[in-house]
Amino acid sequence: MATYEVDQDHLLRLLAAVAQQDRRAFEVLYEKMSSRMFGLCLKLCGQQDLAEEALQDSFVRIWHHAGEYHQDRGAPQSWMLSIARYRTLDLIRARKVRQGGGEATPEALHDERPGPLDESLMVSGAAALNGCLEELSDSQRDSILLSYYRCLTHEELATALDTPIGTVKSWIRRGLMALKRCLER
Amino acid sequence: MKKTPERIEKLAAEYVLGSLRGPARRRFERWMMESGAARREVWYWEQKLGSLSDRVEEVQPPRRVWEGINQRLWPQQAAPQRGESGRRGGLWLLGGWSAMATAAVLVLAVVLLQQPAPEAFRVMTGAIVEENVADPLWLVTEADHQRELSLRPVAARAAEQGKDYELWVLPDSGPAISLGVVPVGEVYRVTLDEATRQALLESQTLAITLEPKGGSPTGVATGPVLYVTRLYEL
Repeated sequence: MATYEVDQDHLLRLLAAVAQQDRRAFEVLYEKMSSRMFGLCLKLCGQQDLAEEALQDSFVRIWHHAGEYHQDRGAPQSWMLSIARYRTLDLIRARKVRQGGGEATPEALHDERPGPLDESLMVSGAAALNGCLEELSDSQRDSILLSYYRCLTHEELATALDTPIGTVKSWIRRGLMALKRCLER
Repeated sequence: MKKTPERIEKLAAEYVLGSLRGPARRRFERWMMESGAARREVWYWEQKLGSLSDRVEEVQPPRRVWEGINQRLWPQQAAPQRGESGRRGGLWLLGGWSAMATAAVLVLAVVLLQQPAPEAFRVMTGAIVEENVADPLWLVTEADHQRELSLRPVAARAAEQGKDYELWVLPDSGPAISLGVVPVGEVYRVTLDEATRQALLESQTLAITLEPKGGSPTGVATGPVLYVTRLYEL
């Protein structure tokens, strides 16, 4: 499993140096964060080549945009993981478009990963959100986690969960708002 | 659609989750450019949902990823031969541009293109905006002459020393077409030849790369792509 603690102050100093075009700092940043980011890219898309492309794009982006990081955006690690995640989402979408349609079919959902979601991820995901996921209904929680970790569209979720799309949308929407209320308590 | 706090709250959460797709996603990205409240809401969710990312198992990426990053950022040093580096840069530009729209860079300039008479005017707008910079980097205003595209710098800063920004049309297929080096301190006007104009009308996509002073020496992009902007028809 991942080791959760990364020295955020160190990452911050590295990012500041990278913003000053410090290539050595960039290399250290890569050493510190690449496995974590790559694990995420792989988890999201389940495809080695796409994950590699996403990681590469993310670090190119970090090199050019390190100066845009600021603390309102969260811990440096969270900012970098967001970059990796959005880039992976973009590539998944672009690939679906290229493959035509992007409509959900059961075949399109097939991948090599154990599913629907491995138990350990469910458990640690719940812990990560201060136990707030526990307060959601099972269907709200599952649809949020499947969207997050598997990047499923509403249509794909409806197919995967064999539920009308309107219902899936409302699970997600209500689940997210309930999550926010809980996190703000 | 009204930007009520409730809508922003709901859309930001779905934006970060990734379930907001297609035109709705692009629309929300434009909201983010206009609204600090929308950006802050997105950052809130990036942090909260980001804690889910922390829990994913680490996987060591293959060495070639780091080599690829170096190749893209510093092609002159990383490439075995100089001749190769330019071409590789161009290939990446084509392969990688399609979905460059990410959270950090959004686009807000305006490009106006005039069709020759007697066809109806065809006006396209797009944007080059950097997050956390209140003004767009470049705005493109209507040019008097036909087939002319003009970029007006607003918040654009000079490229780093020894570098220039170069503007490209990214066609639907084929290599990127250079529109020349973009000066930062003044309006940049460029007349499009017929083929270039056609390519832009079809793909509606421009890119800006960072190149050596004076622009790419090879005619194809060698530097990193800084911005990709998709134009919208008005």
